[in-house]
Amino acid sequence: MQAATVVRNARLISGLVLMAFVTGHLANLSIGIHSLEAMEAWRAQLMDPWRSGVGQPLLLAAVCIHVAFGLYAISARRSMTLSRADVVQLVLGLLTPPLLLNHVVVTYMADQVTPDFDSAYGMLLAIYWKFSPGYAFQQLFVVVIVWIHAALGLYSWLVLKPVWRRVGGFVLPALFAVPILALIGFAEAGKEVLAKLASDPAWQAHITDNITSIVKVTSKMDALQAQILLTYGALLLLAAGVFAARMLRDRLTPVRIVYDGGACAQGRRGLSVLELSILNDVPHAHVCSGRGRCGTCRVQVDAGAQALSPANDIEQATLARVSEGKPVAAGVRLACQARVLGAGVEVTRLLPAYADASAARLPQDWLADDAAPARDPAP
Amino acid sequence: MTWLMRSLCVGALSLAASAPAFAAAGEHSLAALSMGALAETKARIETLAGNFAQAPGELRQLTEQTRKSMMSGTGVRGFTYLLILLLVGAAAEWLYWTYAYSPLRAIHATPVETPLQALRLGLRHLLLRVSGMLLFTFAAIGVSAAFSWPAGMHELVIALTLLLLSLRLSWVAVAIIVAPGRPQFKLVPVDPRRARWLAATVVVALSLLAFGQFVPAILERAAEARHAAGLLRFAAYAAATLILLVGAFTLFSRPSGPSGAAQMRLPIIPRSFLLALLVAAVFVAWVMSERVAAVTLIVAIVIALQLGLRDMVYFYWRGDGESGEAQGALPAIVLSLARFVVVLVGIGAAALALDTPLTALAESVSPWVRIGLRLLGVAVLALLAHGVWIAVRSVVDHRLAGIGPVDPHHTPDASSRLLTLLPLLRVTTAVVLMVMLVLSSLWALGIEITPLLAGAGVLGIALGFGAQALVRDVIAGIFFLAEDAFRVGEYVESGTNTKGTVERITLRSVALRHHNGPLHFVPYGSLGTVRNQSRDWVIDKFNLPLPIEVDSETIRKMIKKIGEDMKNDPELGGLLLEPLKGKLYRVDPSVKIFRCKFRSPPGKQFDLRASALKRIEAALKKLGLGFADGRQTVLMHPPAATPPA
Repeated sequence: MQAATVVRNARLISGLVLMAFVTGHLANLSIGIHSLEAMEAWRAQLMDPWRSGVGQPLLLAAVCIHVAFGLYAISARRSMTLSRADVVQLVLGLLTPPLLLNHVVVTYMADQVTPDFDSAYGMLLAIYWKFSPGYAFQQLFVVVIVWIHAALGLYSWLVLKPVWRRVGGFVLPALFAVPILALIGFAEAGKEVLAKLASDPAWQAHITDNITSIVKVTSKMDALQAQILLTYGALLLLAAGVFAARMLRDRLTPVRIVYDGGACAQGRRGLSVLELSILNDVPHAHVCSGRGRCGTCRVQVDAGAQALSPANDIEQATLARVSEGKPVAAGVRLACQARVLGAGVEVTRLLPAYADASAARLPQDWLADDAAPARDPAP
Repeated sequence: MTWLMRSLCVGALSLAASAPAFAAAGEHSLAALSMGALAETKARIETLAGNFAQAPGELRQLTEQTRKSMMSGTGVRGFTYLLILLLVGAAAEWLYWTYAYSPLRAIHATPVETPLQALRLGLRHLLLRVSGMLLFTFAAIGVSAAFSWPAGMHELVIALTLLLLSLRLSWVAVAIIVAPGRPQFKLVPVDPRRARWLAATVVVALSLLAFGQFVPAILERAAEARHAAGLLRFAAYAAATLILLVGAFTLFSRPSGPSGAAQMRLPIIPRSFLLALLVAAVFVAWVMSERVAAVTLIVAIVIALQLGLRDMVYFYWRGDGESGEAQGALPAIVLSLARFVVVLVGIGAAALALDTPLTALAESVSPWVRIGLRLLGVAVLALLAHGVWIAVRSVVDHRLAGIGPVDPHHTPDASSRLLTLLPLLRVTTAVVLMVMLVLSSLWALGIEITPLLAGAGVLGIALGFGAQALVRDVIAGIFFLAEDAFRVGEYVESGTNTKGTVERITLRSVALRHHNGPLHFVPYGSLGTVRNQSRDWVIDKFNLPLPIEVDSETIRKMIKKIGEDMKNDPELGGLLLEPLKGKLYRVDPSVKIFRCKFRSPPGKQFDLRASALKRIEAALKKLGLGFADGRQTVLMHPPAATPPA
């Protein structure tokens, strides 16, 4: 396995672990629609595994791997040719750590710093709904941001799999039902907490005590947060810097490629064929936006094959998958992986530009026979 | 005629544009009106100045208030619900796009050759996009009914959803119309290099306008912060005006053409200046009064559209860049219709903006309002007449231009019927249109035309007796033309012994050029039987007197041979529909008369006959024969021989 595959799989697996955690957390929240007690009761099943000896290191490792490889992916970019969904996912992903840090530190660190801290749902909801609503806004934002980031990632990965045809009908509604139910649960539980605070003085006193105990350690936690944020910011700047430096360096050597039908595109050396297509508004199918998963961007290289970067293992695997057992035809490349390093490249797009995810799930439906002419581009 | 129609139209248009102003003027005199307007303007400006003074305090108070109400359980609840709404809307739209995204990509991937094709694709694109947005909006607003919102929050959320919808709509509409980055997809003629900036300018200005429309209204209703709302509105509109002004000057200035191009063009007021003027006028009108601003805005949009409409419409027929008159009648008709529709929509919008339904206006007693409405009616009539006239004229002109110049003394062909009828149709249409327009305009202006028509009726009877012949001529002419009795360029003989080539056809008479030169003007009524010499074919017969001694079979063969020779002649062959034949026809004392005949197209028989005679003569000479000379040989019998005695 080459480095590219390792990075991609590590990001995917760590993302799935994080998503499982977030799903459990949000499911726990949505039980608040029923009552605060039920929420608390289900916590043992839904949240506690992540505090166990296996769950906790797994979660921590997933966080570190996902953030680190995410930043690495930014630094490894060659251009900002992103689809709209990718831009959303990128921005939301970058926003997550600073917004979420406070919540993590309060719930996870507080009972380590102050041993008798009660981090039950009732306590936190009381803080959010009564004592410092500012945190509530932050948390609500984070729920939406994290979930959209995760849902985009899961959808764009799963929709390319043949299994999507069977599970898609459940997964897609679930992707929206989970945060909506969680927010409703949050609102209902919040109402309940406010009512309880007004009617139960003993509980109110308990909460107030708890808050005073945590306010004492605020400075400690703030210092910790600042440290983590600083590290994160520095890493982010580093990634952006590497990206900018590469862009500036490659800017000096322009390359040019020619497509079937006479269209042509030009751009910096080192960009992939697909990036050149997008930068020059040349219609080119790219369902997975250049992750090398779907195979819809594949091209037949008519000339200048030696001026393209050699195929990496992601590309080989995808090409083998879409050719379905038959040997991969000579000269076929993935436009998103083949980077243009020299002049004289000519390519033919093998799929119509409107190819969708079904082209990745059922490649034979979209393959033109060698003898038959390619599909008519007009719908 | 065109000029007349056009000036009528322009006049009516300007009257129509001023009609709402008349309507607004009500019963006041002009002086009182301007005083009133001045007073209103002064009050408005004072309010605006007051807003500047009081808004900061109000805004501070408002922020404090908002912070306090948001930083509580109620605020958190409202925000949670808002996020749920957004998620529900996004879910609906995402679901929609899982199906609609492939068609959208197919639209983008379709190669576009003509602007009409781009228009079709653009409409499909718009439909796809707008459906998604509407789904989002309906889902969000529908779900919002399910929650118990904190006080005042529900209206706010619905207003925000609508603001979001209008922003996205304007964004998508501008992106589709101007198509930055995809020049072949654009729906209006814009310079591709300026498309991005144009789209950005329009979107930002529209967003500011939408913001100024929605947000201050929320402030006024929810927080009663009148001054802050006023200030916000002023700021938004001023910023939009500024951006549009800058955009008008930078994006609509003429691109510098090749050197010397400036000399070739007559200087006109630059379009950029006119646009800037319109923008500024709307803003000034808004500062004066909101009611006036709405009407001014509509008028400005109508004028701006009229300025660019010609280019926009012709863009679909001749593409970018090329200039000169376009082809065919269709663009002219579409242009005329588009102008008409733009004005009508503008008038409707103005009536809506003034909040005065047209029916209520019609019952108003104010003379100004009535005059305005009637002028409006005249304008609509003039526009309709103009449209019909343009349609008829351009169709006729187009057909005539296709046929080419007229030469009445040339052989008529299939197009001669069109040449006969089309100019007649054009004149008739013009006359009928003018009469109808004048009559219906008088009616629309409230002038009773019934007595006029009745008077004309009495006069008509008197005239009718006198003009019986005229009516007979016109009616007879209609039937002559309908039955296609003759066309321009044909040689006809009438029952009254006049004959000649048809040179001109009018409503009442036909002009026949006699082959000796005189021009007969024959009224249709006295044309009588028409003998058309120019239809299909003629048969020519002529006699050939030969001496009695000739062998008739030899001559028949000789004539037949000549007929075949003529048939094979490159010049004459095509003209002979049936070849020359001859046979013995009569035997007179000392003369054998042969009759020859042939068939030819009309008008060609004279030349053919001359040529045939020439050949016959030559052939006879070769046989050692001649025509019958008519000389009679008198044989003198000598007296009976008597033997010499």
